[in-house]
Amino acid sequence: MNVQFKKGVLDLCVLALTAWEDRYGYELAVTMSAKFEVAVGSVYPLLNRLTQEGFFSTYLKESSEGPPRKYYKLTALGHTHLMGLIGEWRSFSVAVDELIKEGVER
Amino acid sequence: MTREQYLGQLWDLLAPVPEKQRKEWMYDYEEHFRVSAELGRSEEAAAAELGDPRMIAKEMLLNYRVDQADRKSGSITLVSRAVFAAVSLGFFNLIFVLGPFIGMIGVLIALWAAAVGVALSSLAVMYEGLFGSAFTSVQASFIALALIGLGMLLGAGVHWLTRAFAKLTLQYLKFNSKVIRVKKG
Repeated sequence: MNVQFKKGVLDLCVLALTAWEDRYGYELAVTMSAKFEVAVGSVYPLLNRLTQEGFFSTYLKESSEGPPRKYYKLTALGHTHLMGLIGEWRSFSVAVDELIKEGVER
Repeated sequence: MTREQYLGQLWDLLAPVPEKQRKEWMYDYEEHFRVSAELGRSEEAAAAELGDPRMIAKEMLLNYRVDQADRKSGSITLVSRAVFAAVSLGFFNLIFVLGPFIGMIGVLIALWAAAVGVALSSLAVMYEGLFGSAFTSVQASFIALALIGLGMLLGAGVHWLTRAFAKLTLQYLKFNSKVIRVKKG
């Protein structure tokens, strides 16, 4: 997939993963990397940036097996941003589908 | 690559970033190795999964540079650093982005030199007025004042142009890389 296109969508996906539950970095990075062709290591800078922009807040939580883990929690601002991105995505994908139907699958 | 090697290399590559922020960034990678180990995976596998530390470091540096330039908007030095960070990542075609950028920097430097030159030429006029015969010292001081004024005017114009160019470049960089979005509030 086109790199620049993907970058915008990655924001949406990583925010979406945290909509209902807080997740720790490793979990987010591995899930994203499994779905898209991105290195696990480049998901962490993404999380950092989204945190800096105020869409995530982070906290440390003890885990059952060992040292505490850094959890990412969607903030109110992050939630609003996510809803906006989802809206954009929906209208975008509807438009693409329509054009595919019109041009290819007739 | 082992955990030690990976983290060491990443730390060194991020040298331009202040230590506090660097430690914060490194935390995620340290945790990655920790969680990986808890899940029973080898250090080599965890390192391979993370991806080439050189690419990761370049991405992070670009993030950092664009953010820095954004904070002090209009600084041509910071914008230049961001441009080079982007080029090093292979974001842009070297010829089509770096070429015009350097060309424009050259033009700006020439304009700055012109502004300084015009202002400094007042000194020569004063010298001529005092010791030469071309015009009297009163005439000379009027001409000198006019030249200083012109130099300052030119300087202000070039200053504005430099800032505008820096802002425009940064916007282009952000638009292209999508590393950073517009900050709200």
